[in-house]
Amino acid sequence: MIGFDIVGFIISWLTLFGIYAILSLTLNMESGVSGVTNFGKVVFYGIGAYISATLTTYLILMLNGVDIVENPPYNINGVILLGELGSKNPVLNIGLFILSVFLSFIVAGFVGYLLSYPILRVGPEFVGFTLLSTGELLRIFLLHFEPVGASKGLMAIPNPLGWIPDSRVRETLYLIVILAFLALTYTVMKRLLNSPLGRTLKSVRDDETAALCMGKHVPKIKALVLFIGSGFTGVAGTLLSYYFTSVNPNMFVPSVTFNAWAMIILGGMGNLTGSLLGAALITLVDRLLTFITPLLGITVISPDYVRWIIIGLLIVVVLIVNPRGILPEKPIKTPALQQVEEELKK
Amino acid sequence: MSNILEVRDVAKFFGGIRALDGVTLSIPHKGLVGLIGPNGSGKTTLFNVITGFYVPDRGSVWFRESNSMVRIDGLNPNEVFRKGIVRTFQTPRLFNSLTVLENLLVTPVNQIGENVAKALYVKSWREQEIELSKKALGLLKTFGMLPYVNSRISELSVSHMKMLETMRGLMTPAKLYLLDEPTAGVDYSMARELFTYIKRLRDEQNLSFLIIEHRIEILMEFVDYVYVLHNGRLLSEGKPNEVTSDPKVIEAYIGA
Repeated sequence: MIGFDIVGFIISWLTLFGIYAILSLTLNMESGVSGVTNFGKVVFYGIGAYISATLTTYLILMLNGVDIVENPPYNINGVILLGELGSKNPVLNIGLFILSVFLSFIVAGFVGYLLSYPILRVGPEFVGFTLLSTGELLRIFLLHFEPVGASKGLMAIPNPLGWIPDSRVRETLYLIVILAFLALTYTVMKRLLNSPLGRTLKSVRDDETAALCMGKHVPKIKALVLFIGSGFTGVAGTLLSYYFTSVNPNMFVPSVTFNAWAMIILGGMGNLTGSLLGAALITLVDRLLTFITPLLGITVISPDYVRWIIIGLLIVVVLIVNPRGILPEKPIKTPALQQVEEELKK
Repeated sequence: MSNILEVRDVAKFFGGIRALDGVTLSIPHKGLVGLIGPNGSGKTTLFNVITGFYVPDRGSVWFRESNSMVRIDGLNPNEVFRKGIVRTFQTPRLFNSLTVLENLLVTPVNQIGENVAKALYVKSWREQEIELSKKALGLLKTFGMLPYVNSRISELSVSHMKMLETMRGLMTPAKLYLLDEPTAGVDYSMARELFTYIKRLRDEQNLSFLIIEHRIEILMEFVDYVYVLHNGRLLSEGKPNEVTSDPKVIEAYIGA
C-alpha cells in the first residue's frame, strides 16, 4: 500500500460526502418524508452545476475583456484563457461563487416548483417516471447545446478559492465550505421535519385523501417540498461544478439519482441522520475503490462495476436485517413530547 | 331554528346506478341527526358529495357561513373542511406511520409551524404546540386512550382507530361533523360513552352532527332526528320513535 495518500483520501471522501449528503438529505425530505417519488434528483443537480459553470466561465472572460464570440469558454482558446485569468482576482471568484449559489437555488427551486404541476394528478410511480424522463431530456438537451459546450461540457471553471496556490490548503478550505453548506442543509431539513410542517408532510405521504379531508392543501405542499428540496440540490450542483472545475452531460445520468436513493434506503427512509450515514457509506465505498484500484494495478475490472455490486449487496443485507434501513424513522420531536411525559408521570 | 346544512335534491349517478336520486335533507344548528339505511342505499355517497369528493349530477349543497347559506358542492375536500365540515371514514383513514398523538396534532387548522419560514423557528410555534398537545392529551384521557399516546396506528385495535378518527375531528374548529359509522367495531359500553360525549359536545360547544350508524339501538337513543335512505332516495324521516315504527322502514330493513 505504498503511496496511499491518506490525507488526500479523506479530503476527497469528505468533499464527495458533503455534496452527496445534501442530495440524500433533500431526497429524504421529498421522498422519505413527503412521499414524492423523486426519480429526477439529477435534474436539479445538473441545473445548479450548469448555471454555476456557465455563469462563472462567461462572466470571468467577459469581465476580463475577452471577446466571447471569438473565444467562447467551450473552445480551446477559451479554456486556456480561463486557466490564465481564473485565479487572478479572489474577490471576483468568490463573488461569482456566491452569485452562483443564489441563482442555482432560485432556478433549481423554481423548476422543482413548476414540475410539481404535471405530477399532481398521477400516482407515485408516474411521478417517478415523469421526473426520471425530465432528467434524461435535460441531459440530451445539454449534449447538443453548443453554448454550454455540448458533449464536451465546460472546463477550467475557476474555483472560488482558485487563487490559493497550495492545492492541499485550497482543497481543505473548499471542503470546509462544502461542509458548511451541508450543515446548513441539515439544520434546515431537521427543523422543517421536527415541526408541525413536518407532521403535515408525513400525513400527506401516509394518506393523501385523509390529509385533504383535514384541510391540507396537498398540491401546494408538494410544490413547496419540491421547491425547497430542489433549491438545495441546485446548490449541491454548484458545489460539485467548482470541485471538479468541469461539467459535462455525462455527469448527470440517472444513476446519480439512484445513488442518492441507495443512500436513503440504506440509511433509513424518513430519518435524516440515516441519510448522512447512507451518504457517508456509499461515498466511502466509491472513494476507496477509486483510490485503491490503481494501487492494486488491476486494469481488467473497472472499479465502477464492483462499486455497484457492493452497493447492491449492502442494500440487500441491510434490508434483510432491518427492512426500514439502518436508522428507522422516528416520531417527530416537538415540545408536545414533553407535555406527554409530564402527563404520563402523573 | 336555522339550518347549518341543506342538501337540496341531490343526485349522483355512476353509469346506470342511481346512487343518489333526489335527496333533500337538512341539519339544524346544534342538530344531532342520524342517517340510516341498508347497505348500498347511498349513505356514504351522500357524505362524499357533501365533503367535495363527488360533484353531484343534480341539486346543490348549502352550508351556513355566519348568517347566510353558501353553496359548497363542487368545492375541493380541503375547501369544504375549511368551511367547517369534518368527516370520518367507514374504514378508518388514519396516518398510519404517525403516532396517536401526532395523528391528533396534525389536524388543527392555522398552525403557525406549518408555515415554512416559521417552522424553522421553534419559538414562534412552541406555545401553540403545547396548547394543542394539552387539548389532545385531554381528549385521549376522556376516551381512556392515554396509554396509547405514543403508539403507532398499526398497534391499535379497530375500535381505538374508530375513536381516534372521531377525536381527530374534535381537534379542529369544525362546526359540523359527518361521522361514518363511528361505533362500528367498538364495544357496547364504549360506543355509548362515545355517543354521550358527542351529545355533550353538541350541548356545550354548539356543534352539529350527521351520523351514519348501523347500530340503530344506540343511535336512536341519542339522536333527535333520523333520515332513512333506501336505493338513493329518502324513505322516511322523523323523530327516532316515528321512524322505527314506520312500516316502510321495517320493510326495507327486514323485508327486503
